[in-house]
This record gives sequence, structure tokens and C-alpha cells, in this order.
Amino acid sequence: MGEGRVHSPRGALELTGLCRRYGTAVALDELSFTVPPGQVFGFLGPNGAGKTTTMRAIVGVAALDRGTVRWGGEPIGPAARSQIGYMPEERGLYPGMRVAEHLEYLGRLHGLPARRARSAAADWIGRLGLSGRAQSRVESLSLGNQQRVQLAAALVHDPGLLVLDEPFSGLDPVGVDAMSEVLNERARAGVTLLFSSHQLDLVEHLCESVAIIHRGTLVAHGSVADLSLSGRLRVSVRVAGDDAGRWAQTLGGVGTVETVSHGTAVVALAHRDDAQAVLDHARAAGPVEQFGFVRRKLSEVFRDAVGADAPGARPAAAPRPEGADA
Amino acid sequence: MNRQWWELTRLVATREIRDRARAKSFWIASVLLLAAVAAGAVIPALLPGKESTARVGIADGPVATLTRVAQEAGRLTGTRVTVVSLPSVAAAQARLKSGDIAAALIGSREVLVEKQSLSGSSGGSLPGALAQIGGLEKIYAQLPAASAAQLARTGLGLPTRSLTSAGRGLSVRLAGLGTAILIYVIILTYGVRITIGVGEEKASRVVEVLLTTLRPVQLLAGKVIGIGVLALAQIAAMLGTFLILGCALGSPAVHGAAATVVPVGALWLLLGYVFYCTAYAAAGALISRQADAYNASLPLQIPLILAYVLSYTVIYASGVNWFYHVLAFVPFTAPVAMPVLAAVGAAPAWEILTSVAITLAGTVVMARLAATVYERAILRTGARLHLRQVLRTPG
Repeated sequence: MGEGRVHSPRGALELTGLCRRYGTAVALDELSFTVPPGQVFGFLGPNGAGKTTTMRAIVGVAALDRGTVRWGGEPIGPAARSQIGYMPEERGLYPGMRVAEHLEYLGRLHGLPARRARSAAADWIGRLGLSGRAQSRVESLSLGNQQRVQLAAALVHDPGLLVLDEPFSGLDPVGVDAMSEVLNERARAGVTLLFSSHQLDLVEHLCESVAIIHRGTLVAHGSVADLSLSGRLRVSVRVAGDDAGRWAQTLGGVGTVETVSHGTAVVALAHRDDAQAVLDHARAAGPVEQFGFVRRKLSEVFRDAVGADAPGARPAAAPRPEGADA
Repeated sequence: MNRQWWELTRLVATREIRDRARAKSFWIASVLLLAAVAAGAVIPALLPGKESTARVGIADGPVATLTRVAQEAGRLTGTRVTVVSLPSVAAAQARLKSGDIAAALIGSREVLVEKQSLSGSSGGSLPGALAQIGGLEKIYAQLPAASAAQLARTGLGLPTRSLTSAGRGLSVRLAGLGTAILIYVIILTYGVRITIGVGEEKASRVVEVLLTTLRPVQLLAGKVIGIGVLALAQIAAMLGTFLILGCALGSPAVHGAAATVVPVGALWLLLGYVFYCTAYAAAGALISRQADAYNASLPLQIPLILAYVLSYTVIYASGVNWFYHVLAFVPFTAPVAMPVLAAVGAAPAWEILTSVAITLAGTVVMARLAATVYERAILRTGARLHLRQVLRTPG
């Protein structure tokens, strides 16, 4: 249990044209994206963007005005729902129940026979470092341990689709590592895995792909690697002996200097294919010590995507240069 | 509703039973209720003047006849007679002197007592009754066979006819009030427990996890069935305690009219729970914090409180007013009002059956309405919802 492949990998999760209004407030507006199986997929958006509504719609506890949710090409019916592991943002556990009993109960509700539910509960209790807490009441656990129980509750029936709403919030670094390890392991096992988070650095580190939504609409979607090179392409260039980056002042229309730091100029290209022209211009000014594309941090992509609604809405973080020295 | 549907519902119900049975408060309440019921059975048995006991010696005559005379005398005087067959008159005299027997019936000749009271010869006392019935038995034995046979058929006494129907004694009325109190307390206790339980599931968001694999109606059914099983067990324990103690002690509470109050009360307790349980669950689905459980369930408590309070006017008054009679046919108040009417003898069988039918029909309507409210409200988080708001807008 837990180590091998899932019993019934079904394929990608496809959301198509999801719409949901609450009175005059639009929660989801033609939201569409696909979560491939076998990847850790991050679901991002500012508060109130519609992440929780989307996740609740996927697991069938929120109604949609319009749109379809398909998993493995099929609409999610009662049978498929029993193969979903869901972790709501807030608790999602009976406070007075004992940990082992709770997990066994949820396992049985998801169709496991009693003995298997018991052994699966014991397995996840051990794996998530809760061994001494099996007979404790949920309410007596620390918040971090409660979160581990929540994760175990989502995993106990070996689901093929995991939908986790803010699984990392409130976890200490050890808890974050344990949670990350489990998510990676589940993705490797072929699970379709979607989780939401506000911890963008963590998401960037953990996820292969993300979807970013804003006001119920998809604003960015794709692999983290692709997104880091999305938007206006930038290069970082350092010319030997030019600590002020004077060479870049005569670039003309091919690019705009954004920053110069210790002789390294970050230039935003007018067009993606202007990189060579910039390199030629730098070479003309002197020996080029460094040239590379600047990858954007996910937090930067996020802020660009959601604009002023991004938390803090502060200036973009320092770009992270990439590429070999020229 | 296939087998798997019921299996999941059974799992929910089992969890409810385990969860509730583990709570100390449940056991404390159970013990208190059992103590109250036991008191209801024991106290009437201990009340003076209800039924005394006496040992009556018989000697010098046919045992069967003398035993019958002694027991009949006991019945007429409200005395529980234990017959002691003695070998001789001398033995009877010795037992009388030792105080072992209260009186001795010596064949068809005489009744011996230790000391004759001033009213000793009247029929009100046990020796007096023994003397009179013994005398009648003597006359009966001397009649010709045909007359004796006719007398055996028609009986000796004249028939008694009353101009108004017989009223019920205060003890029976109080048994009715006790039943009403128990019904009120149990429906309220278990009802509010359901509201709190549903509220807890909603507030902790565990309902979101459960409803990924359960239908809302399964969760609702499992909860009310689980808590209902506990309520039934508690009712059965109370009924059993009442009957066992009452019979063992010869309590008047388990004889005659009072004995009918108990099964009628048990029936209405069951009907009342079934009627109200889904409504209390719907009330729980409307709240957002557990602390609101009592306020949300208050509208459901008011009809029961009304019927319960008005019960006192029925128990202690000579008649039943029309308003209370109407309440006994309204499903919201019938579970308390009808047992009280039955206890005071103001509800013939057809009225009880009619009220049962109305309450069952009301239960179907209530269950449908409550299931709709529950389904629409259980996943709606945020501020506390109002019934009208939920009914207007589908989930």
C-alpha cells in the first residue's frame, strides 16, 4: 500500500468551460485546463480566485452552472468519486475520533474491506510519522499532525486522483519535506495530482506544471520550465571592463535595459529572436563574459499574471540568470 | 438503493453509535433516565394504602375451597394474600399467637383472629371479608345442584351501571405525565444531539470529505438511524426496567390502566423521534458553528414545549379542553399530547390510530422537506443560513 502504482490510473483530469456564479459574484468563468497524470501539478491564484470552488467541483461537492469535469475521458460519477482522495483546506476530520479509527472509517467509506482499511490506516500512520498517535483523538494533535492525518485520510484508499487544497499551509519544514516526498512518490506511481498553494517557491520547487487562475479564469498554464521563459524574454549580459553596462545604452530597438548590477545588464528583448542581435552588440563592445536567458521565478510569473491582486503586489523579485558564461 | 448504498449508510450509522456510546454524557443521561423510570415503577409499589400483604391460615376443610375463599377476600380488600395450609385448629391458634398469620379460616365454621377490632366483623377488613365470603360459600354449598349451577353462571351480585364513563385515577394520570416528560426529554436530547452532530460535520468540513463518496441522503439517513438505534436501545432499557421492577414489586404502575400508558408512550416516543429526527438534521445543516445548534433547533422544540406544558392542565383538570385535543392530532405535538390523552382515558383507540396515521404521513412530508434542506445547506459555508433562503435557492 502506498509504494506501488495506483490500482486504477485513469489518465488526465480535464476541466472544460467551468462556470459558477454565487448571486452576482462570478466564482468560475469558463475555466479550462488539463492536469496530466504522473505529475505534481500546482494550482495557483490569489485569495478568492476560485481555486477552492474548482477543487470542490472536481470532487463533486460544489455544483457548476456549466462546464464538465472529466477524468480519463469520462465524467466523474459515483464510482470514480470513490477513487478520489480529497483534502479540504480546513480540517476535514472529526475532532473527537481517534486517528486510526478515523482513517479506517474513511477507507471503508471509499470501498476498502475492513481488514485492508485497517492495514492501510496503520501503513499511512507509520509513513507519515504518526505511529505514537494512532489512538489519540484528532483534536488532541498539533495542527501539523492534524494535517498529516488529513493527508493520510486522502491517501488511505489508494486513490488515482488526489485533490489537495492548501496541503502545505501551517506545516513546519519537516512536515513540508514529508508532504513533498509523499506527493512526489504518488505522482511517480501514476496518480493524477492537483494541489493548491500560496507558497510559490515551494510550488516551483515541487511541481512540474501549474495552472494560475484569477477571478475564475485561467491566466497561465503549462510546465514550470516553459512558464519561466514565458512573457517578454530577457537576457543577462556582462561585457568585460564595462561595470556600468554602457554598451547596452546603444541597443536601439532590439531591447530595453531593465537593471545593471555589478556589470551585468538584464535586457528585455523586443522580440524573442532579438537575442542574437543583442549578443552581437555586446561582442562589438568588448569580450562577453556572460550571456544567458533570464528565467523568471514562478512568483514573478504569478504576479505578472494576476497583476495588482497578487499578495503584496511588490516589484518583481530579482531575476535569476541562467546560462553559461559566454 | 442497492446493497452498497445500505452498506455505506450502515457504516455511517455504526460510526454514530460508537461515537455517541463513547461519550460519558450519554451514559450519565442513560443512568438518570433509568433511575427516573425505576422510581416510576417502585414508588407506587411503596405507597401506603395501595395494597397490603397478609398471610392467612386455612385448616379443617377442603384446601382448594378455603384457598379460593381466602384469595377472594384478599382481592376484595386490596390485600395480597399468602395462604398457609395448617394441619389443625391448634396449629392455627399457635400461628396466630406468634403473629405468623393475620387470620385463620377454619373450614366453613369460623374465622379466627388474634384480637378482634371494633370493625372486625365488617367487610372492609380481611377477617371480615373472610367471614362473609366463607359464609356465602357455605350457603352456596347447601343449594340444590340446579340453583348452584345457575348462580355460578349469573353470579351473586347485582350488575353495576354508571351514568358517566369511569375516570382514571391520579396514579394513572401521573404515569401519563411521566411518559410525556420522558418523550419530551428524549426527543429533545437526541434531536439536539443530531443538530450538534450535523453542525460539527459541517463546521469541521469533514462533510466535504464524506460527500466525495456518499450521497447527502446517505449521510443523513446513517446519522438519524445510528442515533435512533441508541434511542431505541435506551427506550427498550427503560421499558424493560419499568416492567421487570414493576412486576417484581407488584407495583400498580404495571397493572390495569397504567399498563396501557407505557406501550402507548413507547409507540409515541418512536413516532416522535422518527418525525423529528430529520428536521433536527436539517437544522444542523443551516448552522455554521456548533455553538448555534441550540438556537437553530429552538423552533423545533417549541411545539413539544407547548404540548408538554399544557399536559399539566390535562393531568390535573377534570376534562380535556378542545385545544389540547387538537394538539393530539398535529404531528408536531401529537407525540407528547396523545399519550397524555390516552393516559387520562380521553382518547379512544380510533383516535389514537387516526393520530398515528396523520403523524406517519407528516413524517414522510417532513423527511422529504428536511432532506431537501439538508442537501442544499450542508455544503454551503459562511454565515448561518435561514430556512427560507435555502428553500428559495437550489444548491
